[in-house]
Amino acid sequence: MIALLRYQSANLFRSHRWILPLILYAALISVAGTSTHLSASTSAQLAKLEGQNLASSFDWSAAILVPVVALLTRSMLTAEPGAARACVAVARGAGRAQLATLLVAFAGGLVLGLIGACYELLTNPHHTALLIPFLAGIGKALVCVLVGSAVGTLFNPPLIRHAAVALLSTIAAVVVALVSSVSPASAALHGNGATVQSAAWPTGVPLLAALVLLAVSWGASCWLAGRRAD
Amino acid sequence: MQLESVSKRYGLRQPWVVRNVSQEVAAGRLIRLEGPNGSGKSTLLRIMAGALMPSVGRVTGRPRAAYVPERFPGGLGFSAREYLHHMARIHGLSGPAASTAVAEWLDRLGATDYASAPLRTLSKGMCQKVAIAQALLSRPHLLVLDEAWTGLDQAARGALDAAVGERLADGGTVLFVDHDPARLAGQVDERWQLAGAAVRYLPGAAGSGGRAAGGGGSAAGRTALSEVAEAAGVGEHVGPDGGARAEAAVIIELGGLEAGSLRQLGVLDGVLSVWPEPASDDESGRLIELARLTVAGSHSDAILRRLLGWDGVHVASVRAASGQYGANPEVAP
Repeated sequence: MIALLRYQSANLFRSHRWILPLILYAALISVAGTSTHLSASTSAQLAKLEGQNLASSFDWSAAILVPVVALLTRSMLTAEPGAARACVAVARGAGRAQLATLLVAFAGGLVLGLIGACYELLTNPHHTALLIPFLAGIGKALVCVLVGSAVGTLFNPPLIRHAAVALLSTIAAVVVALVSSVSPASAALHGNGATVQSAAWPTGVPLLAALVLLAVSWGASCWLAGRRAD
Repeated sequence: MQLESVSKRYGLRQPWVVRNVSQEVAAGRLIRLEGPNGSGKSTLLRIMAGALMPSVGRVTGRPRAAYVPERFPGGLGFSAREYLHHMARIHGLSGPAASTAVAEWLDRLGATDYASAPLRTLSKGMCQKVAIAQALLSRPHLLVLDEAWTGLDQAARGALDAAVGERLADGGTVLFVDHDPARLAGQVDERWQLAGAAVRYLPGAAGSGGRAAGGGGSAAGRTALSEVAEAAGVGEHVGPDGGARAEAAVIIELGGLEAGSLRQLGVLDGVLSVWPEPASDDESGRLIELARLTVAGSHSDAILRRLLGWDGVHVASVRAASGQYGANPEVAP
């Protein structure tokens, strides 16, 4: 498995498929930075709201992880030519090869999430009660990485093989994941973490739901990986 | 390795590509899969290699396997050497062993000069060498080759033939598909003919019945006759050197045809010689009691089928010509 992970991460770096998700993430996070600072200047006198601003910038950096990780997962799932995939599958099993692919994309998402949370922390102009919103932000980011990975897995090969259908359904699913009340990502973002007072680990339910969603999507992807033609 | 009722279709509404294949694959065998395009050869190969799961049934006892795909597009960002090193590690080799194996196989296949170039800049033949090298690195006990010789230069084809021999000598099993009927034909133990999602199992030239001469037959028992032909191993009898010219011949004796037909026989694909000599036009109506055709092994099935369809003609016997390999089998009438 370690050899598979090493191969897949090398493939991610050498194929340059990490660049687009990274640029997208950086662009979206800097957009949020601008708006957060604007709103901070208008509400500067309300110290109580400072924490909220920080929390909402964490919300934003977590929320954009959903499309970014979905895109990263899609990139990984389509990076390897079918023939090369088959060679690896013969050596180690198609399911395990698929799992390595998904794990590398997921790990990439986690790294981005961590970078995003640190960025929000460092660019935050306020200096009150940083630790709790930071931890809450990390928790939300984790839920969003899980959901992003699940969305990217469910709506891309081998589950959806038609390129255009896969792309459009991925985008639609990202929107649903962010706005729908049933989505674990949405619950994590809007549930109880919006204010600094209640900011803590997002309640266990969205995290648990996101984990279940991830397990189902990865399971389906790994199961189908050896069963469908390229 | 055992195939148990293996069937495959690529979707519930799709036709069966492979249907109900149950067969034991013994160790140390060289097995050739045959069939026209789209007959499911690649699918069955992938299932046996473990790249593809069957829709129904299962494969048990598969040894450590490696697979050379039909086409290997160099769509990865690695150089050939990096890719092979990764594949060697995935196949379970340690770091130093992987480096040694990569260097060895790049050298054996004549790919060392291009080993540092990115895969995507390589030609088809070079990519094919990389695909072959990744499979051979780990000295697998089951080697699956899907038209692996396509696009290779002469030296690399020889290296691959030699590697197949090594795998077999090691007690490994080699499964292959190739459209050149002369490929490894002298060593083939079994031939699996795929048609209509079903498989027929025939011995190869090196198989148990491969060099045995068949008995007689008559036009009345067509099925029986073709079985005799198969038992006689009238497939690809080709010398161990793999040369296309070295095909062993099959002798077909037949009667009840007109002298004029001999000329027609002479121009059929794969007919090496006709006895007696085709007659002149004025005696073309004369009935020949016994004619003897020497045909290339690879064409004998097709020719037999054709002969059996001719009115009045009966096939008296089918046998392998002396069972020897030779550039130009001489058969005295």
